[in-house]
Amino acid sequence: MTTPIIKVQQLGKVFSTNDMLTHALQGIELEIQQGEYISISGPSGCGKSTLLSIMGLLDFPTTGKLFFEGKDISQLSMEQTAAIRNKKIGFIFQQFNLIDELSIYDNIALPLRYAKQPTSDKKIKEKVDYCLDVVGMLSKAGRRPTQLSGGQQQCIAIARALVAEPSILLVDEPTGNLDSKNSDQIMATLEALNNQGTTLCVVTHDIRYAEMAKRKVYLLDGRILGQTRFDHQSMY
Amino acid sequence: MRILIRQHKQAWASLKKKPGFVLTVLMTMGITLGALLCAITLNYLLLVEPLPYPDQDRLFVAEHGVTGAKKETKGLAFTYPGLVHLYKSKAAFEQAAIMSYGEDVIVSHNSQPLVNTAYITPELHQILASPLALGRMFEASEAMDTHNPVAMLSYNTWQQEFNGNVDILEQKINIRGVSYRIVGVLAEHFIEPELEEIGRETQVWLPFDFNSAGEGQRQSFGNISGNLKFIGLLNKEVSQSQAVQLLTPLVNDRWQEGVAEISFFKGWSIDMRVRPVKEVMLGQSESIAIMLLAGVVGLVLIACANISNLFMARTAEKQRQMAIQAAIGATKKHLFKAMLAETSILMFMSIILALVIAKSGFYIMQQYLGAVLPRVNELSLNPITFGCAVLVTVVFALFFAKLSTRMINYRALNTTLQSSGKGSGLQVSKKTRQVLIASQVALATVLVFANFSLLKDAVKTINAPLGFTTTNISTLRLNFSSTDSPSQEESIPIMAGIMEKLEALPQVESLSQSGSPLDGFYLRALTNVANNERYTPFLKGADQRYFNMIEQPLLQGDNFTRVDRQDGNNVMIVNQAFAKQLKADGDVLGLQLSMGGPDPHKIIGIVKDIAIPGETAIEDDGSAEYTGVPRAYVASRLGAQTFMLKLKSGQSVSREQLGKLLAEVDSRYAVFSFNSADDILTQRLFSEITTAVTTAVLAGLVFLLAGIGLYGILSYGTQLRRFELGARMAIGATKQHLVTMIINDNAKSVLVGFIGSVVLFALAYIGLSEYIQPFLTWQVLPMIVATLILITLVTLFACYWPLRKYINKPAIFSLRGSD
Repeated sequence: MTTPIIKVQQLGKVFSTNDMLTHALQGIELEIQQGEYISISGPSGCGKSTLLSIMGLLDFPTTGKLFFEGKDISQLSMEQTAAIRNKKIGFIFQQFNLIDELSIYDNIALPLRYAKQPTSDKKIKEKVDYCLDVVGMLSKAGRRPTQLSGGQQQCIAIARALVAEPSILLVDEPTGNLDSKNSDQIMATLEALNNQGTTLCVVTHDIRYAEMAKRKVYLLDGRILGQTRFDHQSMY
Repeated sequence: MRILIRQHKQAWASLKKKPGFVLTVLMTMGITLGALLCAITLNYLLLVEPLPYPDQDRLFVAEHGVTGAKKETKGLAFTYPGLVHLYKSKAAFEQAAIMSYGEDVIVSHNSQPLVNTAYITPELHQILASPLALGRMFEASEAMDTHNPVAMLSYNTWQQEFNGNVDILEQKINIRGVSYRIVGVLAEHFIEPELEEIGRETQVWLPFDFNSAGEGQRQSFGNISGNLKFIGLLNKEVSQSQAVQLLTPLVNDRWQEGVAEISFFKGWSIDMRVRPVKEVMLGQSESIAIMLLAGVVGLVLIACANISNLFMARTAEKQRQMAIQAAIGATKKHLFKAMLAETSILMFMSIILALVIAKSGFYIMQQYLGAVLPRVNELSLNPITFGCAVLVTVVFALFFAKLSTRMINYRALNTTLQSSGKGSGLQVSKKTRQVLIASQVALATVLVFANFSLLKDAVKTINAPLGFTTTNISTLRLNFSSTDSPSQEESIPIMAGIMEKLEALPQVESLSQSGSPLDGFYLRALTNVANNERYTPFLKGADQRYFNMIEQPLLQGDNFTRVDRQDGNNVMIVNQAFAKQLKADGDVLGLQLSMGGPDPHKIIGIVKDIAIPGETAIEDDGSAEYTGVPRAYVASRLGAQTFMLKLKSGQSVSREQLGKLLAEVDSRYAVFSFNSADDILTQRLFSEITTAVTTAVLAGLVFLLAGIGLYGILSYGTQLRRFELGARMAIGATKQHLVTMIINDNAKSVLVGFIGSVVLFALAYIGLSEYIQPFLTWQVLPMIVATLILITLVTLFACYWPLRKYINKPAIFSLRGSD
């Protein structure tokens, strides 16, 4: 058994407002192995995006432990988590979150520029071009995000997520802002990446796309209700 | 109405969650609007509100203009007989009064206070319809030439010096040897026309007959006196210009007769001037008040611009809430009303604070600007102030609400919701934001630099070395309380007796029979006997102990001796500046200077220069070398009635104690004034201290406003970039990356602002080079650097502060789109 990329133990998240506590996640136990394609689905408000945010070190758990490549990272500082996000995690968001003022090329190059170890401009160009090629957008490098369609923007977001060669891609509702044609195309791209060895964790409420994953996690009211693998069918 | 209350309740609940925002708006608008209400009330009082006297439109002051042979004005003051002649002629005026202002000691009072006196004819209070607290005003039986010794007190004098004694009427007070019967007390709300000096309040009113003019002055048409005034109600059928035409020949003819024998006045004449009392009282203060108002309006506009930025940031913060309101059917009008509820609450709170500040401002003005601006004692929160306050509240509440609502791109609000709060429904372009930042920086740099320049000069003057000490030194001036002045021979033994008593006081370390340098010098024409060159140095009488006591070094020659004073030797000591004026090498010992008499004064010593605040230094023959003010000292007479007391450290002597001491020697003498040199110095530095405090406060306020303005606009920009920040954090940007990015992004605007400030300075220099040129020295350089550093620090703070709430929280906070 290899060390999982992400391991979650008894993870919980509580949101507090003025006079109310909301348990977004409770007792979550989850492992994501190298090369896996996992989907997390469930109804709205079940905590799937919160779980993804915590696994992606965008947020901190209230209880429980989070291991990244075998290291307990629950107590790391924000600077340390930023470094891990930069090097080890690629994010793809529903809203693409591209920076309008930067060109497509600069958007993709951005994670490399935030890296602690500086990358030469030549190396950056090689990597950016490669990622653009992977998503079939090499010709769009000089454009701005606003000049692209939603599907194209999401492709750029994928390229940006890939550029630092992360250990895992965390994908939050990748098709939420896309039409069905573009959605299918994006999901096909992601599947192809997984087939090439990229570890994928996709949060989606779309059952069709959730079914594409090799392992499916179903959340309800902040708890994992069930898991299934493509080779081991079981009903929730 | 219920909807209105609900809206305001909701607005209040929303504002309560943002105490920092509320406090900033409250303080900024409260302070600046407080200053605005102060300035508006002052301007209304000075420029619009009529004087509180009946027939004030016909109330005029006649002035006696003395014109030289070349038609140049030699002075604007009456001669004593000229004033009396005008008064008795009764021409042009329906009713007129004359007065003579003075300072006297009430010797019959236990504390022998020095009071401002006005010797008047009875018509004055009749014309002014002066309200009374007790008794009566002067009557015909106390008119000119009746010599009836009666007195009226001001309300404050009655309260402070006589403890508000209700039995004050018919009591007697003794002033300069005359016993006056008190016949009336003026009411508290009586307002005296400030004809002689702004802020001067007459404490005791006495009949004109008893004024201090000597017999010689009463007869002389050659002496003019600034303390003589004429006021009257112009005849209804006589215009101002007609009055001038009537009075000029009347007074001039009599004056020509009076000076016919004096060749000096050949070709001279009198031109009467008749001006409304209000104009005389206002003097230059009209322009001061308008400048003050303009300055404050500028400050309010800056504050307003800065608060607008804050409201922009606030609207950016509320866009999701507004999007929800829009989604459920709120129209632009609804959003405007909701915003208006917030702005009106804020402006209401601000205006309450502003009224408190205005009230405090009135008090400060009355305390510190009473000698600069007329009528400040009448300042109060009046209907005009309240009217302006209401108007300002409504206008600003509407303005900020409208501004905030205009920012909302109503159609784009939907996008805000559709994209889970990501995106912006606001419409202030990046370019506009950059222009706002640049203008903030430019304006703040100019204002801070200007304030620094003024502050530096004021502090330099305050801290400038005097060249003499004021520590533990006080000046005592005597009052002779009898109508017959003592002769020089008579006063010498009395003064010797007084000095003996003063020296015997255990608190006194040493004594000098001369006034301190701060008590003043007088200009005196001197002629160099050797070459007949004329000089006009400042002159002062000093005894043999004067220079030692004030620690003014004697550089060459000898000090005065007691023998010099006793024998009346014509000896003189000059300072370096005067010595250099007399001879380039400054070697003037033995030089003889004539004061016009037969025996010239011989220079026996040279002392070091001193600097007295308020006096202007001179240039030496245009060589631009600073030489100080030329001064000369002559040996004071043994009968001189002014003393300097150096007290032992930590010791003090009271005016009462000195009064008793004087009475023991000669009961006709009383204390006229007893002031410490430090107090006099503070008074002389009043305008510099006021400038220093004002500029320091203004510089602080400008910093505060610049900080608020920059914070507002940068906070707004940061709000708009919230999701971008989140995305950058998600892909690994650290705090340092983000702070550097925000600073870099705004650096260009700040740089443009700095360049803008240089352009503003250049424009100011072109327009006001005459005033600015003297400030342009190399010493400006460190101030420019300091200003740039401070503005940069404020900008860095304004960059970091709005950013901190995003970068110090997990990235998901920025990405989620709601708190």
